[in-house]
Amino acid sequence: MNSQKKGLGAWGIILLVMLYTGVLIIAPILALIFGAFSEGLAPAIKTLGSSIFLDALWLSLKIALLVVAVQTLLGTIVAWIIVRHDFRGKAFLKSLVDVPFAMSPVVVGYMLLLLFGRNGFLAPIIEPLGIKVAFATPGIFLATLFVSLPFMIKEMIPVIENLDRKQEYAAETLGASSWTIFWRVIFPQLRTALIYGMTLTFARALGEFGAVLVIGGGIQGRTETTTMYIFRSLDERHFVEAYSAAILLGSFSVMIVLIADSIKRREEKHQSQEEAVERL
Amino acid sequence: MKSYRSFLFIFITLIFCLTACSSGETSQSEDEVKLILGAYTTPREAYGEIIPLFQEYWLDKTGQRVIFEESYLGSGAQSRAVVEGFEADIVALSLEADVNRIQNAGLITHDWKAGEDKGIITTSIVTFAVREGNPKNIRDWTDLAQPGLEILTPNPNTSGGAMWNILAVYGAAQRGQIEGVPADSPEAAEEFLKQVLSNVSVMDKAARDSILNFEKGIGDLAITYENEILVGKSSGQTYERIIPTSTILIENPIAIIDASVDKHGTRDLAEAFLDFLYTDQAQEIYAQHGLRVVNAQVAADYEEDYPPVEDLFTVDYFGGWDQIMGEIFGEDGVYNRAILQVQRGE
Repeated sequence: MNSQKKGLGAWGIILLVMLYTGVLIIAPILALIFGAFSEGLAPAIKTLGSSIFLDALWLSLKIALLVVAVQTLLGTIVAWIIVRHDFRGKAFLKSLVDVPFAMSPVVVGYMLLLLFGRNGFLAPIIEPLGIKVAFATPGIFLATLFVSLPFMIKEMIPVIENLDRKQEYAAETLGASSWTIFWRVIFPQLRTALIYGMTLTFARALGEFGAVLVIGGGIQGRTETTTMYIFRSLDERHFVEAYSAAILLGSFSVMIVLIADSIKRREEKHQSQEEAVERL
Repeated sequence: MKSYRSFLFIFITLIFCLTACSSGETSQSEDEVKLILGAYTTPREAYGEIIPLFQEYWLDKTGQRVIFEESYLGSGAQSRAVVEGFEADIVALSLEADVNRIQNAGLITHDWKAGEDKGIITTSIVTFAVREGNPKNIRDWTDLAQPGLEILTPNPNTSGGAMWNILAVYGAAQRGQIEGVPADSPEAAEEFLKQVLSNVSVMDKAARDSILNFEKGIGDLAITYENEILVGKSSGQTYERIIPTSTILIENPIAIIDASVDKHGTRDLAEAFLDFLYTDQAQEIYAQHGLRVVNAQVAADYEEDYPPVEDLFTVDYFGGWDQIMGEIFGEDGVYNRAILQVQRGE
């Protein structure tokens, strides 16, 4: 079969697919960009330099990076345990991991309030210790941690399942310590999935709105994240502020996705080169 | 591999920076004090102008810099946030019932309505926003019952402020101010409320959402507060304000949260800020942002922007908020009965 010659039908479908994804993703982004610069460059730049916005952006980035760090470490461990160990309640744990996908973020925020609010179940413990969770950064961190939990684990499980255990045994036979086995044999195979999981977690954490609004209260300069800033600006008819903030937030996510993609592509290229060498 | 290492390196460095930076919490120094304001969304622009004036005033008076932490949520949401542990020193809310909730939680222990203005800082009235030129020729409440009209009003179950709209219709009807509705007949008033509700096409979760949707071209009319219309118009919107013959006076309370100010040691500061909000200077700023004010001098100065209402009534007409929350917005209250019947198509 000649793959060069495509029928009209095939071209039609390709065109349709291009239109569908193109219009769905690019059109709103373009609208956003036009909106942001509708009054010229100056108001957009002024917004991005305002201290309330910078505080919000700083908080969002701080939370997102911390969440990624925790999820990378703990997510990998959870995935590892789920794949490599058999224990009572494993099936339950596996479905538990999916819960944050299914739950509305607003509900997540309220659940945390029920735990950490002034009348919350944990209030008698945390109050004497002087720890503030609700309406403070720790609450926002916990909420974000909750909603972004599945990404890393879901990304790692299939990869760990597909690991070739023969390589591990071989390394062990050759006298490698378990530390060496992890870093030299297992880790290189997890790398791509790890980067992908980190990317998704980061994007999700940066974009979270409902849960962090409920638990954080949207206090300007303290618990207001970038998404809350955008929402509030729209409410106040400060459209340029909202659009410019949205563009900046969006470009962070896009940048991260692009970096992850390029790393992934490089890895794949590297791999296929190795395979080619092996075949020779 | 190399790129991965550098990625990891950058990432770890960032984490270190972040933890290092965030550990240096700003400590309160002698010449710096902090005040936390929890407010509903409407007057945010006004506070944006008043706060710098107060900061200047306080600096002149005491030499201290006041750092403000502000949060603007829906009135009900803000009130619940304070009850759940948001330690605002002062709350400025849309309706008294939301302050009462905080008081009932034991966080306000003084009589916040003891002052001359009974704890009310600004007022407004329930009005209609209609399209430019008033194409549907809407003059008064009667016109809202005409078949086929599309009305926007927020949902009283989610928007504390939306209750004002329902109270305005129901009250005007009971007071015999609506053509064809006999006075002092709860049945007839409820029937009229039903007619209006059956014309409601969109029920948003908050007053601001409602007017923003109206701006997007949805509906013929929005029942909304006067200040929403005035703020919208000042940002270039072309809709018009219609003041009905009879409407309710919206009273926005403000209160100091005893539990918070005692904990933060900010009572004097909070009281000074509260007093400042009643000065001509501050009240004028409210007036410039669409709100009717309690300061008589300033109210007189802005008379032209705020025409008087022929038959203006307050929540006292219904016997106060406790009555209202039971009889009108309770589970078997007037509102729920009416909306259920409308939804069932009766």
